Amino acid sequence: MAYASVIGSSSVIRGNVRGETSLEILGRVEGDVGISGDLSLGPDAVVVGTISGARIVIGGSVQGDVTASEAIVITETGRVVGDLTAPRIGMSEGALVRGSVRSEGGAASGRSSSPRSAEVRAPAPPPVERAAPRAANHAAPVANHASAAKAPAKKAPPPPVIQAPRAGARARKRMLKR
Amino acid sequence: MAGNVVGAGLIVEGEFTTEEEVVIEGTVRGTLTTAESLSIGSDGVVEADLRALSVVLAGQVTGNITANSRVDIQAGGRLIGDVKAGRLTIADGASFRGNVDMDV
Repeated sequence: MAYASVIGSSSVIRGNVRGETSLEILGRVEGDVGISGDLSLGPDAVVVGTISGARIVIGGSVQGDVTASEAIVITETGRVVGDLTAPRIGMSEGALVRGSVRSEGGAASGRSSSPRSAEVRAPAPPPVERAAPRAANHAAPVANHASAAKAPAKKAPPPPVIQAPRAGARARKRMLKR
Repeated sequence: MAGNVVGAGLIVEGEFTTEEEVVIEGTVRGTLTTAESLSIGSDGVVEADLRALSVVLAGQVTGNITANSRVDIQAGGRLIGDVKAGRLTIADGASFRGNVDMDV
């Protein structure tokens, strides 16, 4: 597959990439990528920003939302932290996705059956769940976050206790006014 | 096959850094730095400061060019900006407005 444009493996772009063309990214882009043609991210590619294109094949890492007018395909080396939106979404075993997945018609297909087929295809998300256990390393930090979140929650109650007397004081003042 | 191809219709904006060759047939705005050669095709439009080992220019460039080796402005090429390079050639039919700084 030949792409009209290529961003090489040693390349770093800090800024946006857009246009009416197909593009293969093998390097790093820190910015939004929006093209009307097909887009491919090689295994070593990194994109920090939103991505849009016609048919998007992700073999690298993406931190940002991905929207395709035709399809999104995440290969076994692909990693996405962000939401996926496309009429068709495919994920290989080994792909890592953290975000919401929405495979719906509308963008490209105007078939009346497309919403139904989208529902049928909806089970696509399971790979996400499968991916989650694999990310056991990530699970631990999440647990830490959860416990960290609980800790402040325990500390939180005191303020209302302090506020309560204030409310009482106000109430007393109101009572005095009356 | 060049390491980087900014094809016709593609617009790259911002800071573009690479160790590989670059071919521009589209549009680049900002800065571009490559350790290898840079070629700007006849349809290429660049509004950026360029740093490269060598530059072959057949398209339009608005910005300064710094080349460790050489700069060749071909017929039809158009440059508005300064050139700092060891060697410079300007073909008949090329247009250029700017200063030249060569290692003397």
